Amino acid sequence: MVIKILGTGCPKCKQLEENAKKSVELAGVNAIIEKVTELNKIMDYGVMMTPALVVDEVVKSAGKVLNPEEIKKFLIQ
Amino acid sequence: MAECSCGNNGVKLIYSCSGAANTGYLADSVSRKLMKEGKGKMTCLAAIGADLSGFIESAKSVDKNIVIDGCPVACGKKIFEKNELKFNHFILTELGVEKGKTEITEEVINKISQEIENKI
Repeated sequence: MVIKILGTGCPKCKQLEENAKKSVELAGVNAIIEKVTELNKIMDYGVMMTPALVVDEVVKSAGKVLNPEEIKKFLIQ
Repeated sequence: MAECSCGNNGVKLIYSCSGAANTGYLADSVSRKLMKEGKGKMTCLAAIGADLSGFIESAKSVDKNIVIDGCPVACGKKIFEKNELKFNHFILTELGVEKGKTEITEEVINKISQEIENKI
């Protein structure tokens, strides 16, 4: 599983990344977490608001900092 | 262009039906004018129709989605309803434009843009 955090490095992006790491531990899944900071690559996902969370190339949220429990739901589907 | 949500309030996304008729052309022109004037950010209605996750999640996250349809067929409205997204809706034929008849001039674009701007 590949989790991507889309954002240019703002505090919310960093928080979402931290929460994603916690959610992986909570879910007990194998996942790689990648950061995508280039604006053009972010735009390729159609995301208009950052930070955004992408799980296996599907955008799960935009413009929000989901908590670890909320992210976990996407990892165990 | 993507925008950081840190400290951002009141982000508006604008969607145009951009249909083939004069009304679709007007919807597109008005949307671009509103974006150019900083009233919102234009993004792709077709992408919402195509169920592209990034566009749908963006529509869920912003303060307002402004959907501009040219005519009562209201493709934009139907796409938003299908996806259960909240939106403010405008149909240009309800603002005095006649489908297949009204010539789309700078004056018409300015007038309709102003009318929509006053309501968003």
